[in-house]
Amino acid sequence: MSDTVTLESLQAALQTQQATFEMHQAMNVEVFYWWCTAIMMMIHAGFLAYEMGASRSKNALAAGIKNILALAVIIPTFYLFGWWIYNAFPNGFVPVDAAAALPWSQSMGPDVQDMGTGIFWAAFALFGATTGSILSGAVIERIRVSAFLILTVFLGSAIWILAGAWGWHPDGWLLTDLGYHDVGASGVVHAVAGFFTLGVLINLGARKGKFINGVAQTISPHSLPMTLIGLMMIIFGFFGFLGGCIIFNGGDTGWTTIYNTPTNLSAFAFNTLMGFAGGIIGCYIATRDPFWTMSGGLVGIISVAAGLDLYSPSLAFIIAVVMGLAAVKFAKFLEKMGIDDAVGAVAVHGFTGMVAVALVGVFAGGTPNVNGAPEITFAGQATAAVIMALLGFIPGYGISFLLKKLNMLRVSEACEDIGIDEVEILAKPYPEANVPATAESEVPNKLAGPHDNSDDQLTPQGA
Amino acid sequence: MGSSITTWENVAAYFTFADNPAALVLFALGVTGIVAGLIGYIVKHENEAFKQHK
Repeated sequence: MSDTVTLESLQAALQTQQATFEMHQAMNVEVFYWWCTAIMMMIHAGFLAYEMGASRSKNALAAGIKNILALAVIIPTFYLFGWWIYNAFPNGFVPVDAAAALPWSQSMGPDVQDMGTGIFWAAFALFGATTGSILSGAVIERIRVSAFLILTVFLGSAIWILAGAWGWHPDGWLLTDLGYHDVGASGVVHAVAGFFTLGVLINLGARKGKFINGVAQTISPHSLPMTLIGLMMIIFGFFGFLGGCIIFNGGDTGWTTIYNTPTNLSAFAFNTLMGFAGGIIGCYIATRDPFWTMSGGLVGIISVAAGLDLYSPSLAFIIAVVMGLAAVKFAKFLEKMGIDDAVGAVAVHGFTGMVAVALVGVFAGGTPNVNGAPEITFAGQATAAVIMALLGFIPGYGISFLLKKLNMLRVSEACEDIGIDEVEILAKPYPEANVPATAESEVPNKLAGPHDNSDDQLTPQGA
Repeated sequence: MGSSITTWENVAAYFTFADNPAALVLFALGVTGIVAGLIGYIVKHENEAFKQHK
């Protein structure tokens, strides 16, 4: 015998279904950003490989430890004040009430009724770590680890997220006043980080031997293959990064950009891949150099990231090719000016990111915004691009200038000669590199019988 | 001792000391101290290492 179906029972069943659906939708949002965050970790694996490879072997571990510690300091400092800066400063330099984003707020911890804050905080913390790591490669082989950590905390947990509050927040003044459009963070992450890096490089100076009688010398990476693999890992991680830039909405809205305009992952997929391919071609034509060819993939993605939702894929490809050529020109210009950027970060991220923001105004000007924000214009994008560059450059220059005056910025000359690994890290990346094949091993052979190696004692090399 | 809940009924923020802002401020200061201390520790180590390799 079945229960009688009434209007009330149908309504109750519908409400139960609705609640279940909404719960699962909220969980899907969490799942999406969880995996974006995880994939972004690959960016850091990539930075680790590529910067260690780009260093000479005497500095390889110093480059690596710098990257690992960058994550370790940016994550807690982004918890302490980064998330609050994003929520408090959409209007400029005067904070609005954002008490819920402070680290002693009930919102900043496990809460069964809040399925958004933690996962968005995590994604933004990893954006911050990526931003802080952009500085890392440019300054290898002569910056003190401590100075780098101070600088990367400012960049990764304060400066870029202030740019994010201005240009990414729904109430950010760059959006509400200028119609700013930068969906893939060409400006708020890459331009800011690149020009912050330029400010630091001016004070840090070149690696010893980089310029001889004013002529720039090539300081070869100790492992070019590792740098190439590292760069490809960064590209992989970019899919998490760019996925984290899109908004997974509840209800029937679907995907939107961070500016609440409609888009979808298909749009991002078209232009991310076309930009990647175009950038490689541009940098290959400009240099025929493996390092720059692979860096071209980054240039290509960054060059179209600001308008990832708007460009036709063929246009994205052409922009990326041209920006690949232009980024190399800019890198050469910087070198002529006496700037030693060991990995081309200022050109790849700063220059490309800044131009990418302006290009949205060129190619997508007139695109409407929503919620009363003005349409996209070239003037608005160009103004914002300059603001992003200055927002990075001024603190980068200022803080590194202060560290230089305190003699805290650069390693000692002897340390630079010997290698930071031996002096500061106290480890060797390739300890067996100079051991002749015929030398007795320091390590006991566990498979040898007692007659072969009876005492199993460590034997000094060459003894 | 740190639990902020006594039941799972109608729970929202349930993490340890969620109901004790003073404790959360103290923990935040602790995090600040550890990060600053780490950097200070590295500065000290670098100064000593550079002295040994003049």
